[in-house]
Amino acid sequence: MKLNIEGLLVYFPYDYIYPEQYSYMLELKRTLDAKGHGVLEMPSGTGKTISLLSLIVAYQRAFPLEVTKLIYCSRTVPEIEKVVEELRKLIEYYCKETGESNNFLALALSSRKNLCIHPEVSALRFGKEVDGRCHSLTASYIRAQRHSDPELPACRFYEEFDAVGRQVPLPPGVYNLDDLKDFGKRKGWCPYYLARYSILHANIVVYSYHYLLDPKIADLVSKELCKKSIVVFDEAHNIDNVCIDAMSVNITRRTLDRCQTNVDTLQTTIEKIKETDTAKLREEYRRLVEGLKNANVARETDVYLSNPVLPDEILKEAVPGSIRTAEHFVGFLRRFLEYLKSRLRVQHVVQESAPQFLKDIFDKVCIDRKPLRFCAERLQSLLRTLEIADIADFSAVTLISNFATLVSTYSQGFTIIIEPFEDRTPTIANPVLHFSCMDPSIAIKPVFQRFQSVVITSGTLSPLDIYPKILDFRPVTVASFTMTLARTCLCPLIVGRGNDQVALSSKFETREDFAVIRNYGNLLLEMSAIVPDGIVAFFVSYMYMENIVASWYEQGILENIQRNKLIFIETQDAAETSMALEKYQEACENGRGAILLSVARGKVSEGIDFVHHFGRAVIMFGVPYVYTQSRILKARLEYLRDQFQIKENDFLTFDAMRHAAQCVGRAIRGKTDYGLMIFADKRYARADKRGKLPRWIQEHISDGSLNLTVDEAVNLSKHFLRQMAQPFRQEDQLGLSLLTFEQLQSEEMLKKISQIAHQT
Amino acid sequence: MRASFRPRLFIDRTIRKQSCFVIRCENCVEMLFVRGSGNCVQCDTPLRKNNFRVQLFEDPTVDKEVEIRKKVLKIFNKREFDFSGLREYNDYLELVEDTVYNLTNNLDVENTKLRMEQYQRENRDLIQKNKATLTREQEELEELLLLEQQGNEQRRLDVLQEEQRQLNAKRKNKQALLDELEKSQLPATILLAQHKVRAAQLETQIEHQKQTVKPTNLFSTGIHMRQTVSLLPAPKIEEVLYRYQPLHVETYGPQVPELEQLGRVGYLNHVRAAMPQDTAGGYSSALACHRAVQDAFSGLFPFKRMNS
Repeated sequence: MKLNIEGLLVYFPYDYIYPEQYSYMLELKRTLDAKGHGVLEMPSGTGKTISLLSLIVAYQRAFPLEVTKLIYCSRTVPEIEKVVEELRKLIEYYCKETGESNNFLALALSSRKNLCIHPEVSALRFGKEVDGRCHSLTASYIRAQRHSDPELPACRFYEEFDAVGRQVPLPPGVYNLDDLKDFGKRKGWCPYYLARYSILHANIVVYSYHYLLDPKIADLVSKELCKKSIVVFDEAHNIDNVCIDAMSVNITRRTLDRCQTNVDTLQTTIEKIKETDTAKLREEYRRLVEGLKNANVARETDVYLSNPVLPDEILKEAVPGSIRTAEHFVGFLRRFLEYLKSRLRVQHVVQESAPQFLKDIFDKVCIDRKPLRFCAERLQSLLRTLEIADIADFSAVTLISNFATLVSTYSQGFTIIIEPFEDRTPTIANPVLHFSCMDPSIAIKPVFQRFQSVVITSGTLSPLDIYPKILDFRPVTVASFTMTLARTCLCPLIVGRGNDQVALSSKFETREDFAVIRNYGNLLLEMSAIVPDGIVAFFVSYMYMENIVASWYEQGILENIQRNKLIFIETQDAAETSMALEKYQEACENGRGAILLSVARGKVSEGIDFVHHFGRAVIMFGVPYVYTQSRILKARLEYLRDQFQIKENDFLTFDAMRHAAQCVGRAIRGKTDYGLMIFADKRYARADKRGKLPRWIQEHISDGSLNLTVDEAVNLSKHFLRQMAQPFRQEDQLGLSLLTFEQLQSEEMLKKISQIAHQT
Repeated sequence: MRASFRPRLFIDRTIRKQSCFVIRCENCVEMLFVRGSGNCVQCDTPLRKNNFRVQLFEDPTVDKEVEIRKKVLKIFNKREFDFSGLREYNDYLELVEDTVYNLTNNLDVENTKLRMEQYQRENRDLIQKNKATLTREQEELEELLLLEQQGNEQRRLDVLQEEQRQLNAKRKNKQALLDELEKSQLPATILLAQHKVRAAQLETQIEHQKQTVKPTNLFSTGIHMRQTVSLLPAPKIEEVLYRYQPLHVETYGPQVPELEQLGRVGYLNHVRAAMPQDTAGGYSSALACHRAVQDAFSGLFPFKRMNS
């Protein structure tokens, strides 16, 4: 279908279009026209990805000088693959319609672990090992050594790529990870470096958030992407947490011990080199004195470690004299390490700011701020000079040096918390130093500054105004889209009371209350009797789930439930969970029916979709607040209050509701899908909680479904399920929630569409 | 945690020639130095009890190094602005580091000490002067700390005030309701409804106030109040001053007459005179003529170049 979006010709690869997709494209085009940033919320399962892609590709073709590149960031590898598949469809459609051969280059980029084709290296299990081995085969000094000693092992794929791969650009087309690997195998080129090299001239790049947000990686991979790019963050409801994680450091006693061995190794290596090859050290020393930037020295394979601070914060200066020679730097590291050890020896919790820390470190071990700032860079240079092949071993000392650089660079937005033991086990000493970032805007600021348009989009971004606030940017469009439905296929119910009128709530005071637990059990039991196929139940935490399941077992509720459906439980072990999921799906497939008990904020709640019969009902037991006693959270809340005028409670509720919305949103993955959404906590009925749900869920909560008892909920659900079980054909949808090209042309429809976008 | 179970260890602070470095537990120190001083068991150097202190770090060499470093830094206390450039400052820093390194690892102790003494003698005044002042970085840190403290204090006061104000407002409101119930003729339900509306209004009002109150610890210029302005001399840059030299172009041709002389010599006789419109923009026929003559004359003596 060819669409006309405010004068822009957009090829849309399907014969039908949802009205909200049209509306979404309108808003997106306005954002791009204004060269500004946008926040767009659209329900999952309404074809967000394809709308985004087809509009931006059309825009790129229409204005090749204004927009040169699309950078599409997603969270996980399966999601990246999904995007690439949609893109492939789109490009094929273009070729068919225009009759030209494709000249677009689109590719996915992932870590070495997913792209390596070296027979030995790719067999390793962990990403870190793969990176380390790859580095030990391809680092420039190792390749230089090979000139004198050809016996040394090499990666023939990289050598081949280095020899010829750069001259020949990747032919246009759409490449997912497997395509890249195939191409690499065919040509004998390393797919990872090929992909990293090709993103510079590709039209569309699909990769993970971290390649843009984590300064340690972004500096390496995304440094040269041009300003005229459009950046899209998909599934961005957790983007603030990603930003914070990218800038935070946790140091335990074990890290320090490993760091100690690292430093010892460094010292012995230096001594060895001093005996054999002093020229090398002298060369490094000369470079540091001159203050040459290592950019012209480093080659792509060498920059294994990168500076943890953001590009514009890095000092353009020579390394201070006190850490210029290798021995002095090792001594410096030793002092810093001993200081950290002494700090970890505390008996009570300490919280302090970065300036306080710096003052203390000067008083105790005479370390100035400036050498600290250069620590990461200096370590990088040293490791390169010492030609240490297996850098994976040096992760501990790298971490420490990153911490040093961060703590001395940023005086605001960070806090240091030293806890001598975990809250749950006060008798077991396990000291941890948390250097935690409290301001997500620090990590994302360069992205907003550098690229002309940044689009943040997800199924659940409500309330929309909070994201611009906590990420500190000015969007030009902020819009939320509803789902147009031919039949109301989602049914949110708020169950506030049990049949015995006991208020249902997961609040702290009633956690142990048997009446509440029993009523929750009854709710699940009754639902298991009437809902076909799969039910997914979410609890607020693992601990809470364990408690409840244990007492259901004692009360015999579990046994009764198992007469209706099988029960599977998510655990913290990833392997166990994926096993449980597999079996759950099998039970749904063969008609036995199953219940999956899982946890909000867990793996299941974030990435797994329960389409059609895999999830006919989602029950959310309680409001998934974060653990509010954590000191890191408290510090962050305080910071939000002082800097952004966001009240603690507002943020906590916002955070809880976005996770609740994520959980219940798992069940509806399209318009033909249907599902119950049961919120089992009386607090959901309050306006401040309800108002923070996404609009497409909120719309369907009527006053009648606010404070139901279990019986009432069961009756409503029965009615709903009976209605939904009727056959539903495409003709029913046509003209209402699904449009053909002709229908899209009518005045009336266009007017209706303009109401879909809800501006705030 | 291991550290906390260890006995308290003491280390000696005197810098000595031999590679002997004394660590003792508390009891030994008490025993050995009953009279306040005694000799080292290993190298016979006289030691004093009050030179012993508690070991802070797990690695005693670090303890020793820090001790030495503090002593050295008392003497080598030049600041960045005592140097003409960053390069010199960095070289100086390395020198300091070398001294500390030598003293800790007992390399060439004699000479190092001599050098230190010599430096001390040469720079006595500067050392005295710098003793009193902090480095710029330390100043910045102090400033940040001060700001932080002020911010915390301010916040605490704000919260207290806010709470007080809310409490007062609520109390007043309640009292007003009671008074009205007592005096008014209206039915109680209406009064209660009115009260409810008023209470809601009060809430929103408080909210608004909260958001408008902004801290005012900035001058209008954006400088923080009570900020200590560091008065550093501007970095000295030593360069050769720029001297103007008139432009000299070798034309390899006969001398071109000056612009003013063109008319007199007769060059302008056959040139179109400037129209009044042309002269408005500053054009005169001499200009065009001068260029044409320059053009014609240059390069007429090619042999001159060959000669040179």
